Amino acid sequence: MTKSLLDLHDVELAALAAAGGRREFGELARRHGSAVRALLRRMGAQPSEADDVAQDAFMTAFQRCAEFRGEGTFAAWVKRIAARQYLKRKSRDARYVAEIEVEEAAPQVDTPGLVDLDEALKALSETERLCVSLCHGAGMSHPEIAAAMNLPLGTVKSHVKRGLDKLRARLAPEPARYGQHRDGSIQGGRTAHVV
Amino acid sequence: MSSDEFDPDIERLFARTPQMPDATLFAADVEARLASGSRVRTLALTTAGLIGGCIAVRESLNLNFSLAAAETPVAGRALGHSLQAAGANAGGAIQGAIEQMGLTDLSLGSMGGMQLFWLATGVLVALVAAGLVKLSQET
Repeated sequence: MTKSLLDLHDVELAALAAAGGRREFGELARRHGSAVRALLRRMGAQPSEADDVAQDAFMTAFQRCAEFRGEGTFAAWVKRIAARQYLKRKSRDARYVAEIEVEEAAPQVDTPGLVDLDEALKALSETERLCVSLCHGAGMSHPEIAAAMNLPLGTVKSHVKRGLDKLRARLAPEPARYGQHRDGSIQGGRTAHVV
Repeated sequence: MSSDEFDPDIERLFARTPQMPDATLFAADVEARLASGSRVRTLALTTAGLIGGCIAVRESLNLNFSLAAAETPVAGRALGHSLQAAGANAGGAIQGAIEQMGLTDLSLGSMGGMQLFWLATGVLVALVAAGLVKLSQET
């Protein structure tokens, strides 16, 4: 008796897709499409742009399916492809390059009570958001991000650190948020609150 | 990953992505794009195969009938003539088909085997170069 697609593990589906199985790859896209699209949105892509890039990433993944050996998760593998493709698209626009020297004012999010990650990310500058999402969402190391974004390693590290500090402040429970100084520095060391 | 880079709470938040309501639609779009790409590739390969096959048949017909005419002076002369005529007709038809495909300017009939070989090699090299450029853009 043959297993249904739903019963197959990602690695099995990827192997079948590498042999040309479009239905099997469709199942992988159904399973992990949301995660890839969510990552791209967290990186700052508009929903329609995120969907386009995610589709392109899945196309690339299908062509390279034979390279997937199951060493990491399939979702992480496609996320990295998608993140790089989004960065490439952005670098063509050369939007984030201008931010290296001038730190833009991040939009303020004043949601009362706890906010979720997507809301909290809006408090970050575009470059901070990219760096944090690449690091924690796509699982890329600082040197990989530096290479992908064509930024100095130290700049990437400081963007990640600043971004994480802002996220922790946003995601912290109310008492910790009240502990913020007027200059924006944080008193007390609670990290992100997992809802 | 260093301790500066790792924050388990933030990691968990990033890992938590609920299934989007249109996940099935997205997967269907991906499958449709795959099917469309496959159709284009099949069409291109079929067209290339047909053109290549026509040229190969035409070349082999020319060769066979030239030999037939030279090597069967008595017994097979009538047969040879009829085959040559059939070959000429088939060759003409194939040449016509090639011309209809817009390859008139190639004047393949006047090309020698080596010329065709170098032409095919050039096309292959161009295809490989285009493939490499596309690959480098994607990685």
